[in-house]
Amino acid sequence: MPREIYAYKCRRCGRLHYPYRMVCKNCGENEHNEFDPVPLPKTGTLLTFTELHNPPSDFEVPRLRLGIVELDGGIRITGQLEIGEPRIGMRVEGEVGVVRTEGYDNRYGVVFREA
Amino acid sequence: MAVDLEKILRPVDRPMPPFPPKHMTIASGEEMVIRQVGRDEIPDVLPFIAPLMYVERDFYDVVAARVYSELMAYYKHRVQDEYVLVAQIDGELCAVVNGRMVTEDVGMSLHTLALRRGLRIGAHAFAAKMEYHMDILGHKEVLVVAESPIGFRRWMIEYDLEKRFDIPHELGGVPSWALTRELFERARDTLVVGRRPVPDDLIEKARAGILPPSDPPTPPEDLLAATRSLYDPTGTALVLQRWRQEGKVGG
Amino acid sequence: MRDVYVVGIGITSFTRLEYPLSEIAAYPAMMALRDAGLAAVDHLYVANMGSGRVNHQTGLASAVADTLSLTPAGAEVIENGPASGASAIKAGFLAVASGAYDTVLVTGAERMREVNNLEATDFVATLTHPIAENIYGVTLPSLAAMFTRLYMERYGVTERHLAMVAVKNQNNALLNEFAHLHQRITVEGILDSPEAMTNNPYVSTPLRFFDCCPVSDGGACLILASREMAEGLGRPLVRIAGVGQATDTHCVHEREEPTDLLAVRRAASQAFEMAGLAPSDVDVAELHDAFTILEIVESEEVGFFPKGEGHLALERGETSLEGRLPINPSGGLKGRGHPVGATGVAQAHEIVLQLRGEAGERQVADARVGFTCNFGGFGNNVVCLAFVREN
Repeated sequence: MPREIYAYKCRRCGRLHYPYRMVCKNCGENEHNEFDPVPLPKTGTLLTFTELHNPPSDFEVPRLRLGIVELDGGIRITGQLEIGEPRIGMRVEGEVGVVRTEGYDNRYGVVFREA
Repeated sequence: MAVDLEKILRPVDRPMPPFPPKHMTIASGEEMVIRQVGRDEIPDVLPFIAPLMYVERDFYDVVAARVYSELMAYYKHRVQDEYVLVAQIDGELCAVVNGRMVTEDVGMSLHTLALRRGLRIGAHAFAAKMEYHMDILGHKEVLVVAESPIGFRRWMIEYDLEKRFDIPHELGGVPSWALTRELFERARDTLVVGRRPVPDDLIEKARAGILPPSDPPTPPEDLLAATRSLYDPTGTALVLQRWRQEGKVGG
Repeated sequence: MRDVYVVGIGITSFTRLEYPLSEIAAYPAMMALRDAGLAAVDHLYVANMGSGRVNHQTGLASAVADTLSLTPAGAEVIENGPASGASAIKAGFLAVASGAYDTVLVTGAERMREVNNLEATDFVATLTHPIAENIYGVTLPSLAAMFTRLYMERYGVTERHLAMVAVKNQNNALLNEFAHLHQRITVEGILDSPEAMTNNPYVSTPLRFFDCCPVSDGGACLILASREMAEGLGRPLVRIAGVGQATDTHCVHEREEPTDLLAVRRAASQAFEMAGLAPSDVDVAELHDAFTILEIVESEEVGFFPKGEGHLALERGETSLEGRLPINPSGGLKGRGHPVGATGVAQAHEIVLQLRGEAGERQVADARVGFTCNFGGFGNNVVCLAFVREN
């Protein structure tokens, strides 16, 4: 079953937030549970990227590719990249998978590939 | 009689092609020369390693003690197939690396000791060793261990070394890692750096003698001395620290 | 609100210190008390970020008050990530300005080298958003790197400009006896030579080894007092003229304009407004160059240079020690070091030293107005301070 990353839509003004925040950034009117989870689109454009040569100690790989993607619709997200030669402006497509393992816990996030 | 006994006690070294010296520009803009030293120069190197046995940080004490013993064993013909490379800036010693030939195909990296810090000199010295094993000695793989977390990050993680945990490394049974020919070729751009041949003036200065390191790691006298000197009206605190390090006063 | 003056300063060497964290905080405080000629203060603020996680010591401020024998004065720890130092100064400033206290001691300290480098980086990475950034393995250098890449694309900043900042600051630090790094570097060595990639490898592309500040231990202290106290103590009159602070989105990807540091812009503008000064009035500044790109961008966002032209001013030598507006005469975070909690106070320490005319070989001539920018998280909480010399 494919997993989703959710944005949070304010029930009063419709503004989308990612990640979650307690009070709507636009109207400031709602109580914290007045958000509807909305799955984020999986496609977008690569805004910027980096290849991290010193990843945190629990990553057993020598390098980690990270990027910020502007998803279709305007929400931006940080994610890992499985792209050999990333370029600013490249079209990318994401999939939710395990991005980090802390002890026995798996953390799920988006990994982007070239679209 | 003594000669016959020595023949028994002394291992026979296999032929090892010499390391062709090379030079590189380091971050400070200075030129550094990396060259091989023979047994005759070991007594010149040893006095600069000894004081590091008392620097208690970053595993300098363990590494210096082990390098001292390995160099002494090399000098006294009590270890087989060892080589020693030194890095010099203007004749001044700034790193010592050593290793051994285990078989025709397998080398063992022993130690990397940097006597000047903050300029990635250890990285150059380690790379020179790997080049020596792979390109000049023609080894298929090099066994590596690390005493310090810095070493572990710079070599095991950086070069994605393969685990060889079934092979205990000579340095005391700690699990070995290996730089294979494949990993070496993949990292060739970062492991084979420096230029040859070394210009005459540089190599002559390096060969002329091994000069004392100007800024080696030392146990700090008093880390807060710089501040104490502000309130010492004669400024003696900082001066005293410097004198102690220069050996002008005791204590 | 009353005027607030800096009457005493103190600092330790920034390096690896084998003393307990409370002593690293207390030592410069002891120096500052002697500098000011005070035996007691009304209140203490201690700036620190990692005491609980890295040093297994909580309630640091109480420990510091006790080790200095300043009890029963009240004390709190102020934690604002890398901006803890300036935040603590701001807290002290408000305490004296409001009339609640006449003397407040503000000391910042950090002992990051109690743990190894990998753990220190992980500790700093706790600043990132736990769900949207940290899970991906994002560390501060990777955030700075992504920002740098965009800035290079948009404004034409190059690796050479970053190298120039590193060389300028590390060489300035040669004149600072308390600095962490005392090693001359050249652009040739770190960028141009055939061996530059070994000398200066990538940490997170396009940021390289010499673009990132070292991990340091250290402490710095300021003692703040009312005008009456300052005049009574007979110390040079250096006043905190303006204080500004602003926050921004936690996730770097949520920033309105990805190449802007809005929190810097807002905090600086508030500080200048309170001080009744303009950026062009500043004679010397200490900006937060945890990564070399930040010095360039902050110099634009605080108003010293137009947006996108900071690197051009750097090229012209305007920000060097001999230039029109020396930035980071102490060596900045790059050369002086970055014990996270101490940095904000160390920046102020340098500015006060400059305004007093006591900066020795790195003295900026006729420095009357100084400015600091302390950058928390990756730009989501920034505190700026403006200082003026009055007599």
